[in-house]
Amino acid sequence: MREQLENILSRVQAELSAIQDTGALEQLRVKVMGKKGEFTAILRGMGQIPADQRPAMGQMVNEVRNKLESAIEEARIRLGLIEKEARLKQEAIDVTLPGTSRCRGSLHPMSIVLDDLLDIFTGMGFEVVEGPEVEYDHYNFELLNLPKHHPARDAQDTFYIDDNIVLRTHTSPVQARIMTTRKPPIRIVCPGRVYRADEVDATHSPVFHQIEGLVIDEDISIGDLKGTLDTFAHRLYGPGVTTRFRPSFFPFTEPSAEVDLTCANCDGAGCKMCKGTGWIEVLGSGMVNPKVLEMCGIDSKKYTGFAFGMGIERLAILRYNIPDMRYLYENDLRFLKQFR
Amino acid sequence: MKVPMKWLKEYVDIKMSAQEYADRMVMSGTGVESVDEVGGDFDGVVAGKVLTCDAHPDSDHLHVCTVDVGGETPLTIVCGAPNVAAGQTVPVALVGATLPGGIKIKKGKLRGVESSGMICSGPELGLPQGLYPHVGEEGILVIAENVAPGSDAKEIFGLDDVAVDFEILANRPDCLSIWGLARESSAVLEEHCLMPEIVVEENGTGTFLDYAHVEVRDKELCPRYCARVIEGVKIGPSPKWMRAYLHAAGVRPINNIVDITNYVMLETGHPMHAFDLDKVRDHTIVVRRAEQGETLKTLDGKEHLLTTDMLVIADSKSATGLAGIMGGEESEILEDTRAVLFECAVFDRTNNRLTSRALGVRTEASGRFERGVCVEDTMEALERACMLVNMLECGKVVPGIFDSCPEPKEREPILGSVERINRLISTNLSGEQMEDILCRLYIETTCCGDTLTALPPPWRGDIETEADLAEEVLRLNGYEHIPSTLMHGVTMAGFRGQRQVLSDRIKDCMVGMGWFEIMNFSFISPRWLEKLGLEAMDKRLCPVVVRNPLGEDTSVMRTSMVPSMLSSLSVNLNRGINEGKLFELAPVFFPEEEGELPEERQTLCLGLYGDDIDFYGLRDACACLLNPFGIEVDTVSGGDAYYHPGRKALLIAEGKRIGQLGEIHPDTAEEFDIEGKRVYVAELDIVEFGVLIKPIPQVKTLPKYPAVARDLALVMREETSVGPVIATIRKAAGKVLEDVGLFDIYRGAQVEANSKSVAFNLSFRAVDRTLTEAEISRVMDKVLKAVESVHGARIRS
Repeated sequence: MREQLENILSRVQAELSAIQDTGALEQLRVKVMGKKGEFTAILRGMGQIPADQRPAMGQMVNEVRNKLESAIEEARIRLGLIEKEARLKQEAIDVTLPGTSRCRGSLHPMSIVLDDLLDIFTGMGFEVVEGPEVEYDHYNFELLNLPKHHPARDAQDTFYIDDNIVLRTHTSPVQARIMTTRKPPIRIVCPGRVYRADEVDATHSPVFHQIEGLVIDEDISIGDLKGTLDTFAHRLYGPGVTTRFRPSFFPFTEPSAEVDLTCANCDGAGCKMCKGTGWIEVLGSGMVNPKVLEMCGIDSKKYTGFAFGMGIERLAILRYNIPDMRYLYENDLRFLKQFR
Repeated sequence: MKVPMKWLKEYVDIKMSAQEYADRMVMSGTGVESVDEVGGDFDGVVAGKVLTCDAHPDSDHLHVCTVDVGGETPLTIVCGAPNVAAGQTVPVALVGATLPGGIKIKKGKLRGVESSGMICSGPELGLPQGLYPHVGEEGILVIAENVAPGSDAKEIFGLDDVAVDFEILANRPDCLSIWGLARESSAVLEEHCLMPEIVVEENGTGTFLDYAHVEVRDKELCPRYCARVIEGVKIGPSPKWMRAYLHAAGVRPINNIVDITNYVMLETGHPMHAFDLDKVRDHTIVVRRAEQGETLKTLDGKEHLLTTDMLVIADSKSATGLAGIMGGEESEILEDTRAVLFECAVFDRTNNRLTSRALGVRTEASGRFERGVCVEDTMEALERACMLVNMLECGKVVPGIFDSCPEPKEREPILGSVERINRLISTNLSGEQMEDILCRLYIETTCCGDTLTALPPPWRGDIETEADLAEEVLRLNGYEHIPSTLMHGVTMAGFRGQRQVLSDRIKDCMVGMGWFEIMNFSFISPRWLEKLGLEAMDKRLCPVVVRNPLGEDTSVMRTSMVPSMLSSLSVNLNRGINEGKLFELAPVFFPEEEGELPEERQTLCLGLYGDDIDFYGLRDACACLLNPFGIEVDTVSGGDAYYHPGRKALLIAEGKRIGQLGEIHPDTAEEFDIEGKRVYVAELDIVEFGVLIKPIPQVKTLPKYPAVARDLALVMREETSVGPVIATIRKAAGKVLEDVGLFDIYRGAQVEANSKSVAFNLSFRAVDRTLTEAEISRVMDKVLKAVESVHGARIRS
């Protein structure tokens, strides 16, 4: 019996080392350790062993069983690892295969730029206010110190619906509406569509977008206007961009300023985009004309304010280097997909 | 306003380069378009003296000349012009010179004779008409002056100058003149400004009234009219310096009298007019409104029909000119003119503008009048013209003037507070400093304590208030010194408006689902609306009309987003892009009562085409968009005629119609150049949408008890819509039915003809217990009874 046990142990160990898969291992286990297995058969012979030899033999049987079981278990772990590795290897895929194009869409570039602007201005405490696109002449012009037949109206070729209703030429009428209905302090930005009778070409469109800002409070100074626009410029283009104020004229502001930003394309060194000047003209601004305040029912002795406005198309064109303004209204997906 | 630097420097000392000067002007508020050499298009051309001129041995028309161009040895030049002769001084383009059109002069042989340069004609040098005598004629240009050989030709023709093209702001018409710019420049540069002393020698015979009679009938439209008569006029070219200035300023020299009027206009800002008195009937000039139906032929040969709103200059019989806009043909200055009446007047800017617009005539003069011409210095400008007549000796100034002048207005001083101005413009200037700045600008200012008392000069009509004074102070103190400060005062909450927030959420949702935002013009062609095949009474066929559109295709405000969307889809389709998922969020416009603003209704429009795309894909997109807002939407068959009759539906939420969707009718698609591809469109009314938005959803506790699933296959008639069946199932099952989904529709041998088997999976769950088999069976029975009675559907055996 001892021999049988030693024999079976060495045979199984030899077979185990040759086994290649878990299926064969299981077969071997059943053949040896199963109910009808060889080892079990040997155990059945225990009864015939003399009683005095039984303890020693029992110990040996247990040792052999343990050895058999652990050898099988060891083989199972070894084979399991090999098989997992093989499976993983076999499951490898070509990760460079092109995918199906289930992608996000995109906002229109104008919306992206406007979103950024609104984030900047709401962060500075400005409320976003909107107004009608078809507007009374009264709000679009008269309250802004542009009486009928004023030559400055020529600069804003206007679409008329009737004598008193126009397609707004700027978003300033929203400011006029707020000034006539609210008490200072006022701090608003007004984004929206505006209309001017310009033929469509690479740099003009009869429909475009503006955003204008208005602040009215006690003791608002032109320094505050510059501070606000500097903050805006830093947030939009980075800390290297500064503003340059140049005197200008707008009927609704006095003093007025044209504001240039450092050309972000060349960092102010001068390039084709800025016509070599290092500056890009972006904004019109100024201190709200006291006449406008008075016409809107605000005490100009007590309150001062500033206003600014800019074209969003221009910002988008500069930011994305869009070669032709018509791209913005053609809605060609090959253009739109570039903003995904 | 093009300003020759030499002209400007006669009145103000400018010590820097033209470019530096231009930069200074820009930073103080006078815009500059460009700084250019007047120069002409040529280089390397000098004066040459023709020493000898012989016929070319091998040619019947060429000449071989020796020309002294100031060098050690004369040049040999072959010249083809018939008028070349020994003794002439001529312009010579040396070897290496460039001529207009980029022509380069090289050494060459002409029929065997070496030629080192080219003798030039006026046209070859690109010299403008009137700049120099005979300049426009063929043949070489003979230089009349006695100039040394080798002198620069640009100098000879007065082209050696730089012109700054200023962009004058609407509020500064005074700067549309050399004098105005000289004054402005002197203030900016802190240099002295020296204006000429105007002295007129009245050397003519008789008096004004002997020659002319002037009558101003409408003093409102013509607040000032000054006139002088020149007799013994000798028409001829004006002197070189005047021609050069005019040319550099962009005005073509014509003859001495006309040149004087143009010169004075540029110098003083006052448009002038010269009448040939002999052609003015009865020597009478009347300033009056036109008679209704009166006609007038202007200098440009155009005939105009006038109205009584228009101001004309007339003689005793009829209108001869449009006041302040353009003169008439009849009294034009010509070679034989002997007596001239100079007019220097001011016309009402609004009236001038309206007339000029109505007749479509815009001239340099009308442009100036509509921006505003100073009334006070009108006489000075006229006297300047007469002084030039004296100088040029081209006529004799008749003693006496005509001046129709308004009562001089008492000029009101403007009061300003030094402290308030400092606060507004973020400066810390003393009253004396402000006083100094304002005085530099000819604003007579005194400072007493905090109060500035300022009297602007007559030409600065734009200065009316303290804010205007503040701007002048800030401008000359330098905008570059504005500090960057932060607003103080109350803190304010910044936020987006409700509509903005909703529109952002909608757009984000669409983008997340893979759609692309587009933007179209808000105005469209009315024909686009007609193409939709709407019923005659549909309000979308009555859009808001733009009175002065750019063209028919942008003449009405859109009442529907669909045409623009179809056009965008068409653009992409026809450019070979095989899938499109577009959306646009914008208002549509509907007219209100006369005089009221139209209604602007925010609308979302979706447009879709591509492979693997159908009606359900579009419907699901709409549902996906609405769900996050807590809006459950149903579709019922129906919709506008531009949709496919069998593939269109209304979107209903809480019993309200919030939009429609469907496949576009092939006829409509074709109208928009869409062929060979099905396109789908959805329209959603954002106003209705906004109303239905649910407040912030409250969380439901997660279920503790298991769900029980049941499948149910129902056989129903083909025409039965599945949607209502599901609604019936829900209603019958009550609240233990957690969910019901469709998993199969079968048509074929297993069911009878004209029927379909629709399979649903139902999921039941109770919040407080595990449902028993018996309970579910009872519910299933109810469901079966209900679908049978409502839809005639039976369980599939």
